[in-house]
Amino acid sequence: MKCTICKKPAVIKLRHANLKLCPEHLVARVEKVVAETIKKFRMFTPEERVLVAVSGGKDSLALWGILNKLGYRADGVYLDLGIAGYSGRSREFSEGFAAAHGLKLLVVRVEEELGAGIDGLVKVARGKACSLCGTVKRYLLNRVAYEGGYDVLLTGHNLDDEAATLLGNTLCWEEGYLARQHPVLPGEGKLVRRAKPLVFLSEREVAAYCVISGIAYIYEECPHAAGARSITLKRVLNELEDRYPGTKLGFLRGFLKVRERFTPPEPVELRDCPSCGMPTASEGLCRFCRLKERITRHALRVTEDHGAPA
Amino acid sequence: MAMATLKHRDKTYEVEPGTTLERALRELGIIPETVLPVRDGKIIPPTHRLEEGEEIELVDVISGG
Repeated sequence: MKCTICKKPAVIKLRHANLKLCPEHLVARVEKVVAETIKKFRMFTPEERVLVAVSGGKDSLALWGILNKLGYRADGVYLDLGIAGYSGRSREFSEGFAAAHGLKLLVVRVEEELGAGIDGLVKVARGKACSLCGTVKRYLLNRVAYEGGYDVLLTGHNLDDEAATLLGNTLCWEEGYLARQHPVLPGEGKLVRRAKPLVFLSEREVAAYCVISGIAYIYEECPHAAGARSITLKRVLNELEDRYPGTKLGFLRGFLKVRERFTPPEPVELRDCPSCGMPTASEGLCRFCRLKERITRHALRVTEDHGAPA
Repeated sequence: MAMATLKHRDKTYEVEPGTTLERALRELGIIPETVLPVRDGKIIPPTHRLEEGEEIELVDVISGG
C-alpha cells in the first residue's frame, strides 16, 4: 500500500477521503484540516488567548499540540473529576504532555469546587453520570476561561463525537439542540465562546496522529461511560461508515448546510446566580450551585446520622 | 507454526500467519474503522501479512461518555 501523495509506504487507509497515507502525510493532513477549520469558521485569531480543555485523551492532547505547532497561544485546563482509578492516570498524561512541550496547564479539582468528585456526586444526585459530569465540566470550564480572561474555550470533539450527537438529536427531533449544534458557539457576557477545531477529523485519524507524533494518551475509558448512549450511536455510525465510506462526514457537512432551517429555542434571559455570579437561566441558584448545595446537605445528614466528629 | 497474536482490550486472538491484517479483523468481526493496529509504537497497515509469533495491539479509537 503506497501513500497517495508521495508513493512511500502508507500506514493508514482513509476510505472516506479516498486516501492512503504515510506517517508524514497523515500528520500534514490532520494539521491542515485543523488550520482550515479554524479559519473557515472564524473560531479565533492568532492574537486571541485560547484555552484548551485537556482530558488526557487523544483528542484534546492532539488539539493542544497542533495549536501550538500552528503558532496559536494556547494554554490548557485539566479538570480533576475525582473518578477513582481514572482521574489520576488522565492527570498524569495531561501534566506529562504540558511539561514535555513547555505549555501552561491549569489544574482544577472538582472536589474542591463542588464538595465532591464525580464518584461522590453520582451517589447523591439524580441523573445519569455522563449528564451530571457534563453539567460540572461545562460550568467549571467556562468559569475558568472567563475568570482567566481567555477569548475562546476549545474542546477536542471530533467527527465521531459530532456525528453521534447529531444522530442522537435527530432520532429524537431535538430541534433546539439541532439549531445550536455548530463548530463554534458565540460567547455572550460571562459565557465564553466555544469551538471544536477537530470536528472534521475522525477518531481514527486523531488516534493515528497521536501514535505517529509520539503523544502518549490515556487509552482507558471513563468507568462511568460504560453503556453510554453516545458509544452505541458511534458503533452504529461506524457500521454504516464501513459499508458506505463518508457517511459520518456527509452527515455532519450536510447538516451544517441545512442547520438554519431548525428553529432555535426562544432566547431566555440569563441572570447571575446569587451564589457564584455565573450566568443561569434559573430564577435561583445555577445548576452547579444546586448540585453543590445537594452535596453539602448530604454531607451534613451523614454527619448528623453518625454524630459530629470529635 | 507459531500463531500471530492480536490483542484487543482484554481479549487476545490467535491468527494464522500469512493472513492480512484487514482480513484477520474482518474474520474476527472487528470493524477496521474502530481500531488502530500498533506494534512497537508504529501503526501497522491493513495490507500487512501477519508473521509467525508477531504481536499486534488493536488500540480502540472509540471514546465516549
